[in-house]
Amino acid sequence: MSYRVGIDIGGTFTDFALLKGEEIILHKNLSTPEDRSIGVMTGLERLAEKEGQTLSDFLGQCEAIVHGTTIADNTLIEMNGAVTGLITTHGFRDEMEYRRGYKEDIWDATLKPFKQITPRRRRLTVPERVLFDGSVYEALDENAVREACRKLKKQKVESVAISLIFSFVNPAHEVRVAKIVEEEMPGVHLSVSHKVLPRGPEYDRTSTTVVNAYVGPRVTSYLEKLVSRLRDGGFKNQLMVMQASGGVMTKEYIDGSPIRVLASGPAGGVIGSAHTGRAKQSPNLLCVDMGGTSYDMSIVLNGAAPATAGWNMHHRYLVGVPMVQVETLGAGGGSICQINAGEVQVGPRSAGSEPGPICYGRGGTEPTVSDALLMLGILSADSEFAGGSFSLQRAGVVEAFQKLGDQMGYSAEEAAFDCWRVVNANMIQAIRRATAGKGIDPKEMVMLAYGGNGPAFAAVHADALGIKKVLVPKASPTFSALGTLVAKPTIDEERSCTCSVGSPDLEKLKSLWQQLETRAEKYFADANFTRDKVNFHYQVNMRYAGQNFAVSFEMYQCRGSQDYLFLNGAFGEKALQAFNKRHMEEFGHIREMELPEIIGVRLVSSVDTVAPPVGSGFSAPTVTATPMKIRRANLGDGYQETPVFDGDKLRPGHEIAGPAVIEETFTTIVVYPGWKVCVDDSGDYEMRKIQQSA
Amino acid sequence: MSFELNRKLAAKRAPLPTAADIDPVTASIIRGALETVCFEACAHLGRAASSPIINQSNERNSSIIDSHGRLVVGSVGTPHLTFVTQLTVRYGLMHFEDYDWGPGDVFLGNDPDHGGGHLPDYNVYAPVFDDNGELVLVQALQAHQGDTGGKDPGGFTLEATDIFTEGLAIPCLKLVHRGEKRRDVIKLVERNNRFATFAGDLAAMIGGVEMAAREHQALIRKYGTDKVRAALNYTVDNTEKRFREEIASWPDGTYEADVWIDADTQGTPDVKVHVACNVAGDQLTVDLTGTDDRQHLVGVWNTFGNTRGYIMIQLCAMIDPAIPKNEGLFNAVEFIIPEGCIAHPPPNKPAALGSFHPACEITEAVCIALSKVVPERAQPQVYKIGMPNAVIGFYDTGMMWMDQGVDSRSMDVSAVKGVDGWGSCPSSLGALLLSMAEESEARFPVLNISREMTTDGGGAGQWRGAPGSLNVKKVLEPVSAMAWMVSAKHPLRGMCGGNDAIPYSNHFLVGTEKEYKIELVESTQLPAGAVMAYQHGGGAGFGPAIDRDPEAVKEDVLDEYVSLAAARAKYGVVLNGSLEEYDLAVDVQATQALRKEMRAAQMAVGAKQ
Repeated sequence: MSYRVGIDIGGTFTDFALLKGEEIILHKNLSTPEDRSIGVMTGLERLAEKEGQTLSDFLGQCEAIVHGTTIADNTLIEMNGAVTGLITTHGFRDEMEYRRGYKEDIWDATLKPFKQITPRRRRLTVPERVLFDGSVYEALDENAVREACRKLKKQKVESVAISLIFSFVNPAHEVRVAKIVEEEMPGVHLSVSHKVLPRGPEYDRTSTTVVNAYVGPRVTSYLEKLVSRLRDGGFKNQLMVMQASGGVMTKEYIDGSPIRVLASGPAGGVIGSAHTGRAKQSPNLLCVDMGGTSYDMSIVLNGAAPATAGWNMHHRYLVGVPMVQVETLGAGGGSICQINAGEVQVGPRSAGSEPGPICYGRGGTEPTVSDALLMLGILSADSEFAGGSFSLQRAGVVEAFQKLGDQMGYSAEEAAFDCWRVVNANMIQAIRRATAGKGIDPKEMVMLAYGGNGPAFAAVHADALGIKKVLVPKASPTFSALGTLVAKPTIDEERSCTCSVGSPDLEKLKSLWQQLETRAEKYFADANFTRDKVNFHYQVNMRYAGQNFAVSFEMYQCRGSQDYLFLNGAFGEKALQAFNKRHMEEFGHIREMELPEIIGVRLVSSVDTVAPPVGSGFSAPTVTATPMKIRRANLGDGYQETPVFDGDKLRPGHEIAGPAVIEETFTTIVVYPGWKVCVDDSGDYEMRKIQQSA
Repeated sequence: MSFELNRKLAAKRAPLPTAADIDPVTASIIRGALETVCFEACAHLGRAASSPIINQSNERNSSIIDSHGRLVVGSVGTPHLTFVTQLTVRYGLMHFEDYDWGPGDVFLGNDPDHGGGHLPDYNVYAPVFDDNGELVLVQALQAHQGDTGGKDPGGFTLEATDIFTEGLAIPCLKLVHRGEKRRDVIKLVERNNRFATFAGDLAAMIGGVEMAAREHQALIRKYGTDKVRAALNYTVDNTEKRFREEIASWPDGTYEADVWIDADTQGTPDVKVHVACNVAGDQLTVDLTGTDDRQHLVGVWNTFGNTRGYIMIQLCAMIDPAIPKNEGLFNAVEFIIPEGCIAHPPPNKPAALGSFHPACEITEAVCIALSKVVPERAQPQVYKIGMPNAVIGFYDTGMMWMDQGVDSRSMDVSAVKGVDGWGSCPSSLGALLLSMAEESEARFPVLNISREMTTDGGGAGQWRGAPGSLNVKKVLEPVSAMAWMVSAKHPLRGMCGGNDAIPYSNHFLVGTEKEYKIELVESTQLPAGAVMAYQHGGGAGFGPAIDRDPEAVKEDVLDEYVSLAAARAKYGVVLNGSLEEYDLAVDVQATQALRKEMRAAQMAVGAKQ
């Protein structure tokens, strides 16, 4: 028997999904923040036990271990990365501090600045200059580089970022600077901008390189530790690591660009969603993941979650590598409800997991969204919570909402209901914003809900957005771990090249794509994938001159070797047509008087692997389910006696019309009035709108 | 087009008639939905437009005006456009019948004498009707265009004495009639612009308001016209109430300030803005009486719409940032803006440069006046640059190009109580993003040589202003260049005992024998290889410099924001060790002694005065 294991390390829990042929086994244990690899090994031991094997036998049979990590994110949240220095072109010392003048809330004079990863004393410049066409305007002053090294050494710098102007067009100076730094500062961690993010403009590339330098040493040393523990434990294959782009790749590849693991946890969930949507004939998805502190939204189109690189402000720093777009709103079960100037406000302040909502009974005193759900009867103090680890408590909850009600002049129940309405409105608007400007009409999407709290709200949001179908996978509470198993080994890189689409420089485009191919081939070979297994997607980035955002689209795809016959005389015309189609879809117009330009090539290389099976269909005979109990609950239309179902007892073919509540082991699913839910052949839930709600 | 018209445009508007009741929660849900549509419209424009000033620098704004002409949602975009939109739309609304408003229409206005700001700020708006044909809302989208078809590319003519030099003024023009584009009209507008990318920008604006109008219609169908109107009344009233609560918490009194522009574009020195803010209970009056009204001044005329809007930006920056920005703000404040002064020009005055100065000085004066009341939010404007050096040339194809210098706005952010200057602030033009060398050099033959911070730039203080920067550029081909200098004599003023920022300066032909300083204005041809160096003054300090934490001063010296000499001379901090070795340490005793001496000297000077 060969195994595949997906692992997702979160703040509280480390989730595991073991794929054994067609079967999926889930497991969860506590994370170990001091050394997260310990929690991983503990979980693997439990899985081995479940399989009746020793750890070394079990790991010896593991064909793949795939891993999503928050280590880079935590480094940026806790701001405890490496002592980082920057070497840049003379004249451009302060771009990281200017940040193009961006401020998160321009109206708030009291907002504190972000912390400098490279304070000014560790931002050093060297005379040199390359122009936009790659020509050298001023030679590199090598003595200045050595002097900069001396200053950085004095400041005990552990990690050096190098970012010179137009290095993505001509990297010669950067390569030379890197060589000198290696000589002068042996053992220092190096991040070189033309490798980390080979594109303009300078702020994007410099910031990405600096963040890479800052998180790099921690990511690398953590992965080294984990790899050696796995090897010592008996694992013989390559550890694969989840990237923000939604693909996985080897540790060796990640070592070259550790920033690619930022936000890799949520990316796993999105990739899992895309896979599920494809299997269930729902290729266009709006994915919502609501946990304790945040509401994460993402979009799957045509069965894929495209990773895009742009103005990704991540923990207050710009990160330009391709990321699966996940928008986050500070709204979760722990979000605090309060009255501010006569208006009900929910979040972004959160009670977190400690002390948590009042109903957790761990000392929380401020009412939260989970407490409101308890007031509304959606959650219950009579049922087990979080897999039976504890029960919810009503003590203090009513009193807390009564305090809010007193300020508004109504009852505690009305206050809780208003909090529910407000948090819903916030989430609905957040979805609208997440889809804004992307040419997406939510009405044409299917919603997929996961995370502990997602399924309790999903149908309300779907209703407001005009969505008629909501999917809730049975495995939704550990969906991200499962997603890492779906993700393919992928390398997604781009190179910059500006030319007119009217007369494209085909030789140049070919040579850039070949460079990217050679890189991909090397890393895939390290991971034991030969070239004939690799799928190559040749994409171009295009825009009208002056536009800030390029649209990317595919020009050709193939597996294994190819002869570049698609780069022929018709290439420009074909690219123009594809661009016009995309621009029309996205912006509703094309410019008849202007010719767009090609600004770069992109190569997405990936290998198909075995993904967890997802069933679909409704062949089981329809049966009306029997509730386990009735309780008083308000699902938006006032309090009424509402049937409550036990998720463990529901089987394919079961159908329930709203209003109803389904209690699952790790989550609660709410079937709102006007909706019904059906259990499909694989045991997953599908909610459908059956009538117009009031 | 008269003072009479301005009085009508500015007159307070009544709440909307409605039979519906509304609860605060539903009202805020409806408001939120409308804000989201505004956001969507802005996102659409930012992605689709080509002009750097729109898509790189974000000089665009989206807002919603109700059928009475009240600003009901002004949530998204660049602050200086947020509060100007409604007067242009009001002018159109006053001609609802004449101009045959109907569903599916899209209008354009930009006329300074019909409620607008300066000509480049095109306001494209679409009325939204309910299914009974009643007007409910107007969705507006404003953006600064790269050109306006006047004498000079970009629309900024230094010597203009009237609006006609600056370009095409449009009070209200229908671009789309009942869903059909008026191609002849659009062609006319496109023809009056030098740059080919304009057509795409205009198409993006029309697309943006049309998309938003469809969203609004769906919302109105869902809630009903009466409910939406009730929600708008609530949100406007609630903003007024919250603003008045803030005003009521300020001590009663009259707070005054004078701010000067160095000179108008013809050299007439010391153009003055005077503001008196009177707080009486929950009523605030902002009175500009005493502001310069010499009719011969050139270039320094700020439109009436802009003046109201810019005052409001500064007021908004001094209250709880969470208060929704809408007409309720205007309902809580009385403006006195004398007719004929530079803040309320007679018809046909030029308007382009006035949107920088005196517009920015008006916000600055309001800020200084109220710094005694809300010091923790007293952050004055960030646009002390007269005008960035504009550079114009021609491609080999014969097409004109212009680098408007949006890379060169400095980080002139002043400190406030508790926070050193950083990032940006709303007044004025504060949301503009710096453009990038790697973007602009691919388009324009202008080399960015340096834009680093200036050691000892900005103003010292207990909280330090952001250092200014020296922006050096070299033109690689022969070009025409234009400049207007201010803030050499009157840089940003320190707050509550903080130091002023350093003066601005601007040099052309740097490094040659012919190097010269631009004292006032310049419009010249530069040869290939010519270097321009613009020194930006930085932000001002807040509170006395000798009260700054000596450890913070030490850190500033290590980061070369402050020199060792200035640490001693301005901050009274004595440091041991060396900057070279990164081992500076505060000499506590020497610092205490020096600061004691400096305090005594300052007291002596104070006593003498």
